[in-house]
Amino acid sequence: MTRLVVTGVSASYGSTQVLHDVGLTVEGGSTTAILGASGCGKTTLLRVVAGFHAADAGEVRIGDRTVAGPGFAMPPERRGIGYLSQEGNLFPHLTVAGNIGFGLPRAERRDRARTAELLELVGLPVALADRRPEQLSGGQQQRVALARALARRPELVLLDEPFGSLDAGLRSTTRRAVADALSAAGATVLLVTHDQDEALSFADQVAIMRDGRFVQVGAPKEVYSTPVDRATAGVLGELVILPGHGDGDHVITILGRLPVAGADVTGAVDVAVRPEQVLIGPAVGAVGSVGAVDAVVDAVDYFGHDALVRIVLPAGPEGPAPVVFSRVVGDDAPTPGQLVGVSVRGPVQAFPHTVVLLAPTDPT
Amino acid sequence: MIRRLVPAVLAVAALTAGCGSSDEAPPLDPDKLTIYSAQHKNLVDAWVKGFTDETGVQVQVRQGTDSSMGNQIVAEGSRSPADVFLTENSPAITVVQDADLLAPVDQTTLDQVDPAFRPSNGLWSGIAARSTVLVYNPSLVSEADLPASMMDLAQPEYAGKWGAAPAGADFQAIVAGMLEMKGEAATSAWLDGLKKNAKVYQNNIATMKAVNAGQVPMGIMYHYYWYRDQAQTKDGSKNTKLHYFKNEDVGAFVSVSGGGVLKSSKHAADAQKFLAWITSPKGQAAIAASKSMEYAVGMDQPSDPALPPLASLEAPAIDPFTLDGPAVIELMTQAGII
Amino acid sequence: MTTTTPGRLAGPAPRRHPSPAGGALVLAAVLVTAVSVLPIVVVLVNALGQGWSEAVADVVRPRVWELLRNTVSLVVVSTSACAVLGVTCAWLVERTGLPGAGWWRVLLVAPLAVPAFVNAYAWVSLRPAMTGLGGAVLITTLSYYPLVFLPVSAALRGLDRSWEDTARSLGLGRWRTFARIVLPQLRPAVLGGCLLVALHLLAEFGVLAMLQFPTFTTAILDQYEAAFDTGTGSVLALVLVALCVAVLTIEHVWRGRRGHARIGAGVIRRPEPATLGRWLVPGVSALAVLVVLALGVPVYSLGHWLTTPGATVDGSALAAALGSTIGLALAAAAVTCVAAFPVALLLRQRQSAFTTSIERLCYLASSLPGVVVGLALVLLAIRWVTGLYQSATLLVIAYAILFLPRALVAIRTALAQAPGALLESARALGDSPARAVVRVVVPLALPGILAGLALVFMATTTELTATLLLAPTGTQTLATGFWAASSSLDYGAAAPYAVAMVLLSAPMTWLLLRQRTVIA
Repeated sequence: MTRLVVTGVSASYGSTQVLHDVGLTVEGGSTTAILGASGCGKTTLLRVVAGFHAADAGEVRIGDRTVAGPGFAMPPERRGIGYLSQEGNLFPHLTVAGNIGFGLPRAERRDRARTAELLELVGLPVALADRRPEQLSGGQQQRVALARALARRPELVLLDEPFGSLDAGLRSTTRRAVADALSAAGATVLLVTHDQDEALSFADQVAIMRDGRFVQVGAPKEVYSTPVDRATAGVLGELVILPGHGDGDHVITILGRLPVAGADVTGAVDVAVRPEQVLIGPAVGAVGSVGAVDAVVDAVDYFGHDALVRIVLPAGPEGPAPVVFSRVVGDDAPTPGQLVGVSVRGPVQAFPHTVVLLAPTDPT
Repeated sequence: MIRRLVPAVLAVAALTAGCGSSDEAPPLDPDKLTIYSAQHKNLVDAWVKGFTDETGVQVQVRQGTDSSMGNQIVAEGSRSPADVFLTENSPAITVVQDADLLAPVDQTTLDQVDPAFRPSNGLWSGIAARSTVLVYNPSLVSEADLPASMMDLAQPEYAGKWGAAPAGADFQAIVAGMLEMKGEAATSAWLDGLKKNAKVYQNNIATMKAVNAGQVPMGIMYHYYWYRDQAQTKDGSKNTKLHYFKNEDVGAFVSVSGGGVLKSSKHAADAQKFLAWITSPKGQAAIAASKSMEYAVGMDQPSDPALPPLASLEAPAIDPFTLDGPAVIELMTQAGII
Repeated sequence: MTTTTPGRLAGPAPRRHPSPAGGALVLAAVLVTAVSVLPIVVVLVNALGQGWSEAVADVVRPRVWELLRNTVSLVVVSTSACAVLGVTCAWLVERTGLPGAGWWRVLLVAPLAVPAFVNAYAWVSLRPAMTGLGGAVLITTLSYYPLVFLPVSAALRGLDRSWEDTARSLGLGRWRTFARIVLPQLRPAVLGGCLLVALHLLAEFGVLAMLQFPTFTTAILDQYEAAFDTGTGSVLALVLVALCVAVLTIEHVWRGRRGHARIGAGVIRRPEPATLGRWLVPGVSALAVLVVLALGVPVYSLGHWLTTPGATVDGSALAAALGSTIGLALAAAAVTCVAAFPVALLLRQRQSAFTTSIERLCYLASSLPGVVVGLALVLLAIRWVTGLYQSATLLVIAYAILFLPRALVAIRTALAQAPGALLESARALGDSPARAVVRVVVPLALPGILAGLALVFMATTTELTATLLLAPTGTQTLATGFWAASSSLDYGAAAPYAVAMVLLSAPMTWLLLRQRTVIA
């Protein structure tokens, strides 16, 4: 089990600085996902760790070896890493078996048993060994690329948005197969992605990067429920923003007096609520009502497994009628025009009020 | 798999095929006598064979054309590997003479040649001669309508009725004769007339064949092309006849082919021997024997019996050694012909 | 099967990768580019060497106007004819229910295997009256229309029907859809093909000499024959280069920068073929006539002259010419592809002002006609590099300069088969940079490189103009041997040389059919 430690890494392309003094630790055998928008620098960090890009400053240690430091960088072929890119990059002139055996010493390349073992590890039938890459589907290609990377039993595996080019249906099955293979291999994994579902489900640790810096690093649940700022909260999932007024460890909103997760707040705040926290029940006054506020259902987006309900709250003294979204199980979806009672479950996030240029009717 | 293999197979095949071939002309052998020749190949080959058979001296020949070879020798200067330079017309060798690259020819050689066909400065010698002629197609133009003088051809009444190959050294020699006889103004005017009225062909043979085919009634060229064709298949000339202008007209110009020894020659003795041989009776007889149909220039040497005697052609008495080739080029450039 | 190449609108832009031996590579690429552009410099220096007023006087002559008139009219008429023919044939073959489309495609491209001057010989030997602009236009159009046909048919094959469906749904009829939707998308292909045709026409010598249609090329050679190295020839060469640059500029401006936005990658859906109906017979007949004229006439003519009794064929001379040609072509192919390598590698790197200027200079050099390169190298050897004078080396250098652009395109395409990402994967799997190149780049790029070698080889075997100027006296190639014979109108003697050239360049047709872009 090898630990990856990145300390104080800064990197640039030409005259543009892309990474600013970045640090990260990935414990041996665990998976960390770096999540961020395109252009934030996450791929650059991955390439620095892999050895494809030279950092301007900082240090990278894989296990007990320092592979990059001030004034020197070990070439990629000596770092003992596995690297999987978005396009898979299987060698078109070799068969699947040829690709898998590429990184092995010549004696082992012909070892059909090892090839079969690796194909099984990534969940592919052994019969694929003699096919050519262009005969495989996208998901199969990515799995072969993983088998190829794992063939050398690398200490550290780096994944650069590996599922981005797959069709949605393939994506989740491939993801699961890759995750299983990696944990079976006991590798330390660093994944880079802009897809929040991927980051949250795949990783033991999520690191949110923005403009070349980490803004928050922690377990998925922690990052999701207590994001450090509003923008980070928005990266990880949908949000509903309501105006509110801080009152110590509670905040007063149109949906009632709600407990705040995190530090006490005072003054005008933006309250961030996840749609799954917004509960819909019978209207106030009806039998079994639990809600704090009555509101009219404006629209329902039905997805089969769940539904997103758009609810218009009664307008307050200042501003237009707030709109909230509620995520409910598909069977429980109300009908448009229905009067429902709206309440919030669980603590909410409160951030200092910022002027938002977008109309506050869309979930951010 | 096949896709990848075929280009590879092609390349390998090409490589193995090429292995057995050389990629340049055999380099000049420094031990052999080197002749830069603008004369026709079959005549020079006959001369070389005769010379080597008699003297045992090994010879190698580089073929080219008058102007480019002459200029090439001038450009090569003293580095030139040429020992002997043979031309078709005199302007080209005059260019080399004026660049001070020729060694004086042995007097014994000069004595073999008719003084009319060699310069008094003794720097080179005539080796053969040819006459300007008008070739015409009798079905397109009658003898009575032929021009009395070559100068007449520039007149509008002959527009589109004649052709020539003005870009070639042969024709340029003829114009050089005109320049010598008539001066710059008249030559310039005549060239303007050519530009307006004449059809341009690539070379003398093309001119003759065009007349033969009836594409144009008349053409100006040298005599030997016609006689050669007549001696062979007659394909290029069976519908044509020759007309000699005579009367010391510009169109009766006789051009002298020249031969000279280069100052820089490493085989000066052999070079002089070669010139001596080709101007000797044996050498001059070879002209007829090779059927090149050019005129012999040796003292009292006969030419091919099919040809009218040179003396009967009434050629103008121009000094062929002062013909100014570059001036002609200049005039032609100004007239827009080249 | 799901497609795995992501649409490039999503995802990061392709990375350019710095290559290992930076300094040496840059130096080599700069050297190659400098040599390519050298002819322009030499000609310029020689032209101005005779004095500014002399040079101007050389240009402002009636003769030059005549040459300009001839050249421009030839280029304009012939290029337009090629464009019309090329597009029409491409449309007929790719977009209609034409029977035997596969065969037509081969037959319509095959005229490229016959060098234009052989085509001229074929026509003139049968009908000597063919001269002047009309004859020149006919023969050059028949020789060069495949240069438009090839890219346009490739472009038509790659068109997705979605644009046309959208247009039809917006109310445009069939013909208007073709005019407003399909033709604009064909524009780059048409313009690219026309550019090639125009450049070939500007460089054309053999055809025009045979047809007695004087243009700059024939005039430059006349000047060279007559006066060797006066400034006049160089001035004419400069005018010719200016015309080439003008053609390049016009094409660049007309092509514009418009791209085609398309969301999402995916399989191209071919449009439904248009049925010809009552136009079937006229269409097929028209194509047949074209094939007969472009291909049938040369084949018939060559056969006729080969079998004419009494044809004088000097076997040993022919064999010697064949040997020289093959030897020179092999040397040229090797030198050109080796020279193209550093430039191709350099252009793969991150784009900078430097690499852009290299690319532009190579593009400019690609327009130089053979006569300019030949003349420049002769002057160079006469004046400055006398060791090279009259050497086969100089001729091979000329070939390398002339055909570098083709080799460059072929090698760039070949290297694109092994993008940098594959090299990274190899390095992540433990290979040093050199081993990665050997194990990944070479196997993937090799077929393309061999194709490039083959194309240069075949182009060299039919090169006439530069060879006439530079061949060492005593060396005869197939092209110059052919020229010597056909100048004397000795058609029987010329035929074997012509046949040998056609056979040597026939494989090119097959190679070009397999490519997506025309680089001939």
